[in-house]
Amino acid sequence: MPVELHRDWIPVALSADLPAATVVPAHTPSGILALWRSESGKLTALADRCPHRGMRLSYGFVRGEALSCIYHGWSYGRTGQCQRIPAHPDLTPPAAIKAASYATEERNGVIWIAQNEPQEPPPTLDGFKPLRSMPLAVDADRLSPTGEVRTEFAGIDMLLLIVATGNGEAVAHIMIAASASKDDCVAASRAAEGWRRDCERLALEDRAS
Amino acid sequence: MILYDYILSPDAYKVRLMAALAGVKLDLRAVDVHPGREHESEPLRALNPAGSIPILIDGDLILTESAAMLVYLARLAAPEWLGDGDAAGGARIQQWLSFSPRLTDHLGGARATEMLAEPGDLPALQQAGIIDLRQLEAALIERRIEGQCFLAADRPTVADIACFPYAALAPDGGVSLDPYPSIRLWMRAIRMLPGFIEMPGIHRLHELKPEPLSTETPETV
Amino acid sequence: MTTSSQPMIDQWYPVALASQLPPEGRATQLMGAPIVVLPGEPIRVVAGGGRDLPVTVRYGHVWTSLGEPSKELFDIPEADQPGRRLVEVGVVRVRCSPLRAVENFLDIAHFPFVHTDILGAEPHTEVGKYDVEIREEEDEVWATKVQFYQPQAAKSATGGITTDYMYRVPAPTSSVLYKTCPARPGDWDVITLFVQPLTEELCDVWPWMALFDDETPTTDLIHFQQMIFLQDRSILENQIPRLLPLDPGREIPTRADLTSVAYRRWLKRHLFTYGAQLVAQ
Ligand SMILES: N[C@@H](CCC(=O)N[C@@H](CS)C(=O)NCC(=O)O)C(=O)O
Ligand code: FES
Ligand SMILES: [Fe+2]
Repeated sequence: MPVELHRDWIPVALSADLPAATVVPAHTPSGILALWRSESGKLTALADRCPHRGMRLSYGFVRGEALSCIYHGWSYGRTGQCQRIPAHPDLTPPAAIKAASYATEERNGVIWIAQNEPQEPPPTLDGFKPLRSMPLAVDADRLSPTGEVRTEFAGIDMLLLIVATGNGEAVAHIMIAASASKDDCVAASRAAEGWRRDCERLALEDRAS
Repeated sequence: MILYDYILSPDAYKVRLMAALAGVKLDLRAVDVHPGREHESEPLRALNPAGSIPILIDGDLILTESAAMLVYLARLAAPEWLGDGDAAGGARIQQWLSFSPRLTDHLGGARATEMLAEPGDLPALQQAGIIDLRQLEAALIERRIEGQCFLAADRPTVADIACFPYAALAPDGGVSLDPYPSIRLWMRAIRMLPGFIEMPGIHRLHELKPEPLSTETPETV
Repeated sequence: MTTSSQPMIDQWYPVALASQLPPEGRATQLMGAPIVVLPGEPIRVVAGGGRDLPVTVRYGHVWTSLGEPSKELFDIPEADQPGRRLVEVGVVRVRCSPLRAVENFLDIAHFPFVHTDILGAEPHTEVGKYDVEIREEEDEVWATKVQFYQPQAAKSATGGITTDYMYRVPAPTSSVLYKTCPARPGDWDVITLFVQPLTEELCDVWPWMALFDDETPTTDLIHFQQMIFLQDRSILENQIPRLLPLDPGREIPTRADLTSVAYRRWLKRHLFTYGAQLVAQ
């Protein structure tokens, strides 16, 4: 099924880039989320702004099943509810202290975030495996109006999932044919660098003319 | 061994970090780089005509390049940080030691401009820094495809220490690290090394410590 | 600049270290306006069109104003106390609101996480009750009886101590803190944060200190303070939004934040809103 039928789901990261007990900033067309994986492996996406004093939660740290803010250590569970305020260790944080949370799905090595309330799960992208995520200083629309590019790098079948990240920039989550060997992966990764240089050069020339 | 040091200098930090990881004790001499510009003073120029920090002195030996200091410390106290010694392995390390001054020039230049209000062409420095980070990211992706997480061997080497500080401090110069998943994982692996020390702008991995269960009464002196 | 930011125009702001002026002067900005600080006797500050701005030199810094200050620069009596070392720390540029920079300075709850093993450490994270008031006569925000456990409270400290703090906000972008002096129990060390608003979202921060410490080399004192402030910088540049929200619904304080709450209320009362966001966006 083509990816464009699933615009409710935004691909934001590759599973391998988010090991247990880590947090990353996940760029989406409507802003940045703090995407984290608990020690036991559960995924959560929260608004990337701590309700206390606005610090980006993606700068925080994961202990056990909670994400803590780096600024004053307030910790948040998987619903976004604040669980602990270190300045007041005996206080149960009020229910109002809550970061917005978003549905996530992980399929075939790709992590997706839901914009709305999707009816269907994200696509499985059968026949491909994740290679790398690559930022580009190019408008997403230039790369693909559908959010999907099928191409070949170094003679290998590739599927690029394109996401606009604002300011005329985009991220390509690059999938490679599932049968690709290690050498193929290296060759495709190098070819992807060349593809990016081409895209950025063309975008620059367009802007100049 | 004496290190002429500056707490905010990423190049000086490389040497402090390598020494900490290798278990070498340094005699630190703080130099008033900012705001005093003491590194440009005559006594320090006598040691290092380039007027830069750090300077490492061990007996007769005076070193003024941080990459050389890393190799020296490793050879003295932690030879495993120099890789396996085969031609390609040695060259791979040297490749990154020679690459690291680009990070100093570009990301470090952006940082000095943006943070210490020094003169510089900020957009140009940032753009050059992004090209460096992309090269580092691409190399680390290839390492990960091979199942490795460090730059030049199956363990950390002086190559990682030479490149780590300016990459980690890119945000100080207004260059975001958000788009580089492999650099972020590599930095995390370095920060998890036993004996790792911080510098301002590179925060502690608080997750390495368990959540405190109860508050103890602070002791008072 | 909007008229609502007018009250801040008439304040004094630090724009240079008097001892560090290059011969050609320091070209900088104040609240969006280009200015040049020129060395000489007396030091001059010149705005666009050649207009001379009012100048006062105190606490090692050159202070000026784009408007007409109705008062002299606030007094720090300790600056003239015999026996204190006066330490000029230099400048650090931060991409944040000048008001956020001051608010962070007033906060102790972040010490264990941002200044780990120096100004704080887990599990000693609790912030006890302290007193906060807006002193009407002086028109200043004050927090007193602040206490915090610190592993290495100052360059001269050798072990953990419970440190007493007092905080004072005498001007919208300046703050003075008083803390237990390890060398002279019973006396207070003075550490200040003077903030130069370049724009509403960019500032030059000039920390300055007046300490009782005859032992520690000046360079070490400077570096200790630079280390502390640079740990804060990466926080300050990543708060969202960049402007300080004065709308009480936008961010959630607790009892530990009473100084910040009073500071925000005082800013609002005086329409000190350059660098602030009045309505959530
Ligand atoms: N160095 C002081 C300052 C620490 C402090 O209370 N303020 C923090 C809050 S941000 C700070 O960063 N101060 C910056 C500074 O003192 O320059 C201390 O030792 O306690
Ligand atoms: S801003 Fe996150 S805990 Fe204070
Ligand atoms: Fe701080």
